[in-house]
Amino acid sequence: MESENSLLVDVLIVGAGPSGLSTAIHLADKLNKDSIKKRIMLVDKASEIGAHTLSGTLVKEQALKELLSSEEFENLPAECKVTRDDTVKLSQKEYKTLPFHPPYMNNIGNKIVSLSEVCKYLADIATKKGVEIYPGFSISDLLYKDDKIIGVKCSDTGLSKDGKKEKNFQEGTKVFAKLTILAEGSRGSLAKKVKNRFALRANSNPQLYSIGIKEIWDIKNENIKEGEVFHTFGYPLEGDEFGGGFIYGLGNNRVELGFAIGLDYKDPTLDPHALMQIWKQHPFLRKILEDGKLLEYGAKTIPEGGWNCISKLYTDNLLIVGDSAGFVAMPALKGVHLSVTSGMCAAQTAYEALKVDDFSEASLSNYKKHIDESRIKKELYPVRNFRAVMSEGLFIGGFKFGIQLITNGFCLLTPHLQKDSLSTKKIKDFSGKFFKERFKGKLEFDKKLTFDKDSSVFYSGTHHDEEQPCHLVVKDMDEFKRININEYGMPCQHFCPAAVYEEHIDKNGEHSLKIHPENCIHCKTCDIKTPNDAITWNPPYGGDGPQYQNM
Amino acid sequence: MTTIISLMKQVPLPSQMRMGEDGLMDRTKAKSIINIDCSFALEAGLQLKSMLGSARLIVCSMGPPSFEQSLKKAISMGYDEAYLLSDRKLGGSDTFATGLAISTMLKHLGFGKGANEDFIIVAGRQTSDGDTAHVPSQVAQNLGIPQATFIENVEFKDEHVIARRIIEGGYQILKLPKPCTLSLTPTGIPPRRPSLLGAVKARDAKITVLSVSDINLSDEKIGLSGSPTIVAKVVNIKSERAPVIMSKGEDVSALVDNLIENIKSGKNTLEKKEKKEVKKKSIPEGYERVDFRDGASGILTWAELANGKITRPSLELLTPAKNLANSLKEGTKVRTVLIGHNVKDLANELIFHGSDEVIIIDDERLEEYRILPFSSIFAQVIKKYNPEISLFAATTAGRELAPRTAVKTQSGVTADCTGLEIGEHIDRKNKKVFAPILESRRPTYGESKLATILGFHCPQISTARAGTFEVPKRDENLKGKISTFKPKLDEEDFVTKIIKTVRGDGGLANLFEADVIISGGRGTICDDMNLIKELARELKKQGVNAEYASSRPMVDIGISEYARQVGQTGKTVRPKIYVAVGISGAIQHLAGMKESETIIAINIHPNESIFSSADFGLVGDYSDIVPELISRVKEGFTFGVKKGE
Repeated sequence: MESENSLLVDVLIVGAGPSGLSTAIHLADKLNKDSIKKRIMLVDKASEIGAHTLSGTLVKEQALKELLSSEEFENLPAECKVTRDDTVKLSQKEYKTLPFHPPYMNNIGNKIVSLSEVCKYLADIATKKGVEIYPGFSISDLLYKDDKIIGVKCSDTGLSKDGKKEKNFQEGTKVFAKLTILAEGSRGSLAKKVKNRFALRANSNPQLYSIGIKEIWDIKNENIKEGEVFHTFGYPLEGDEFGGGFIYGLGNNRVELGFAIGLDYKDPTLDPHALMQIWKQHPFLRKILEDGKLLEYGAKTIPEGGWNCISKLYTDNLLIVGDSAGFVAMPALKGVHLSVTSGMCAAQTAYEALKVDDFSEASLSNYKKHIDESRIKKELYPVRNFRAVMSEGLFIGGFKFGIQLITNGFCLLTPHLQKDSLSTKKIKDFSGKFFKERFKGKLEFDKKLTFDKDSSVFYSGTHHDEEQPCHLVVKDMDEFKRININEYGMPCQHFCPAAVYEEHIDKNGEHSLKIHPENCIHCKTCDIKTPNDAITWNPPYGGDGPQYQNM
Repeated sequence: MTTIISLMKQVPLPSQMRMGEDGLMDRTKAKSIINIDCSFALEAGLQLKSMLGSARLIVCSMGPPSFEQSLKKAISMGYDEAYLLSDRKLGGSDTFATGLAISTMLKHLGFGKGANEDFIIVAGRQTSDGDTAHVPSQVAQNLGIPQATFIENVEFKDEHVIARRIIEGGYQILKLPKPCTLSLTPTGIPPRRPSLLGAVKARDAKITVLSVSDINLSDEKIGLSGSPTIVAKVVNIKSERAPVIMSKGEDVSALVDNLIENIKSGKNTLEKKEKKEVKKKSIPEGYERVDFRDGASGILTWAELANGKITRPSLELLTPAKNLANSLKEGTKVRTVLIGHNVKDLANELIFHGSDEVIIIDDERLEEYRILPFSSIFAQVIKKYNPEISLFAATTAGRELAPRTAVKTQSGVTADCTGLEIGEHIDRKNKKVFAPILESRRPTYGESKLATILGFHCPQISTARAGTFEVPKRDENLKGKISTFKPKLDEEDFVTKIIKTVRGDGGLANLFEADVIISGGRGTICDDMNLIKELARELKKQGVNAEYASSRPMVDIGISEYARQVGQTGKTVRPKIYVAVGISGAIQHLAGMKESETIIAINIHPNESIFSSADFGLVGDYSDIVPELISRVKEGFTFGVKKGE
């Protein structure tokens, strides 16, 4: 098994978000307490910890309190405490503050944090406890022996665009691990492979996702106070579109805001990035952002299907945690605390397995037991049908969800769920107004309040080595042309929040796909939403991608 | 076993350097990276090792303890040992003091003449936060070993280094013995990504940190006291161009029609602001006036030759040289050094362009420029003529010849200047006025600032950015003296062999003299700039002096050659018409073309910053617009430039 370019570890964690870091910290704590020496390694594709971490985070602290010692918890970096929390209904020109909170939505007392910052902090703690953390490495493959996972292989680097070995070729290191824990975040590319190969989805619904787009602004202080929180619904969404916006006052003249929309929308030309820009033009937002300056931009997807969309999360020698697993409590719009808890459950499982040196599926099935006993099930099970009924829109969905609150989540008329790539309608089948028509006059971006995609991408700091095979793989170009371009009008050019996909029309009127992988901000919407599942998102070289500072 | 020594500097990530509220570049928020050129040198070291079979790879740097992260990165790439010279006393060192400190460190580590001589130094050409390209030459001179700078590619054959060096208008293949110093441009093999295994090794690796006293370097030779130059002041550069006129039209043909109409009817102009009277600095009473020249007098320049002709940048140099001489005491001479074989005829050309005296060094071994004998000759000429100022064109030759010569004369050097004037320096602390003194101005911080650098040791040496000054008017009535000089040269000065010299047709000269430059950027990648080349070709067929050029990314990915790179790290051009196609308008590129008479920008993205620096703009796809332009050129459209002009 050992070769010159390989490493041997006990536990390998892929991904340094809140779930991966929680796994590492909790496992190290448990082992250190027993004075057991094990090699725990954590790798992340971002150039530094936190650089690919994005969240609109009002964090429920309880989970972190359980994870950390009281001293570690005290020093957790936080922006501020929520002092006011309003839900605002937007119509095209007006807004109304709701006199009450929708269930699960009250945040007073929760902390507003930068998840990038929190992750940096957690990584320092994990390092002190003996975990080896290596940012800047992406994993291209899982390693198998007798159809069981035995570790991973880092991406080869120094390849030309067509995959040829260049002079600076560097083979990716193989990491052999007794236990591999996937904590890659939303739509993890390895988790996707594992779920397919071992049919882990056999007894669950397909996962549903939203895309969330986030900006951080420097504003005039008086426009929004530190700790003030607003969630908006309504405009610019309508009908059965699920989503809304958030605005958090951070103090120090800064505000973070974001807009999310469920990827089960139907209009093939809908553009979430443009929705965010349209939303910002609403008087309610405009007055906050007036004369402000955009500091950062980013986007990620949110696995929000809830309990019924969570697959089996273990197989021989492998566990899946966090967003890769799908632990998001949608009614509360929160996932970080569940990620932390899932990491702790995984750590507990790993600890037990290490003690008996048994990493078989049977041994790792403890993970399910721990999850069922944790807050994860407590929070997710009663609201298991929330997102499903919301696919019918806020009005009917809200009514059905209201009933579920009384019946502990039981729902008679649960709509059938399908994966998001199937929800998009063909151009000829879409009956509503197309996006551009619907928001005519609102799609001219002034580069002050609103930005075109290319400008926005600049604020994500994203960067990719151009000398590498394209990390976005199209299944079949001819088929893509026939289905995605001809029948659907190439939705990826619209939904991608980073202008990665361009529909090029040449002199003869021929339409073709042009990919700009260097723009990618790793949200993975293309992997989820492209009709015919025509695009696969693979990790590019380690260290490439956005450079989030405070997201 | 041969040791490969890589010299490396850590710099703030240029793209993350933002302008702070106070108008100063904020480096603190920027992430630190290995200087790009240095990372190419690191890779060259690794490539050399694979050609050598086995080698000891060491990486050295000078800077604060935070540099350790970059040294660790070098180890993760495959280096064996890392050394950091780190000492507060080194703060404020200019390139001269830095070159001395690094070479002293290397001597301390056992390398140098008379000690371990089995080594090869690889360094980056220049750093993104200094941009001087001096240190490798200074280190080589301090160690007394051969050098080759601006190297794109290295090989190791028959115990010799074979290096491909960028020269004006082409390249040269050099063969160097060990030990030697190489400086690498970022156009060769890109640095490899570390493997995870390498990162694990680097995590546990120990970096040897050395202080100034560890290497026995005395305090007065480093930091401010060891630096012959100082930065006297830094001011913002403001660009002034009238608002762009954008083309309108429904389709490609209408857009191009409109562009042609717009060019015909003329560009917007800015109202000229009255220049403010420059207030003369008043010198407080009781200050001592210091003339540090100590008898040194005159301006010395170098006439660089290519294909047996004097290069344009060397003629340009006579403009500031003459101006400086006029600002100094009457009778100050401009002398020009002309080195070559059978070059007597060229001496008159220099005189016709304003040189008062041409000093000819004729030797058949000196037909092609080579750093060792040329720097030796310069040191000897300087010793004899004792000039107060010495100027070189900032070509790849000038940028190594100046620093290597300067180490011999103990002078500081200011690199890549765009302004050269005589002024005075008021030292309020010591109540002294240094005058007259050469004020060398150079753009810095990604071209957003103009720094004034002063040197207090004669000759004050500067290199001038090619294309910045105009060639003086040729006047056959001008008279001057022609003298010859016989230098003492060693066999040692010729250890580096020139294997081959290749100068293509598209070179510096052509770019500088072109009336129309068609320049391609990232947006023209799809066909390797073929349409750009075709447009330039068609213009030539129409009798227009046209050339094509490119922005840096196109050179980096190998589509265009370095000689055609316009921008901060390439060339400064000022044609009548500059057509920027698919170029975003990064400040580094603007630096190289903003003096063009008329700028036309064509880009598919309407928000690219190039449009705010252009006179005419057109939003459209490269592959649609340029073919249309080509067909218009075939019908006689020449961007308003007269044929054969």
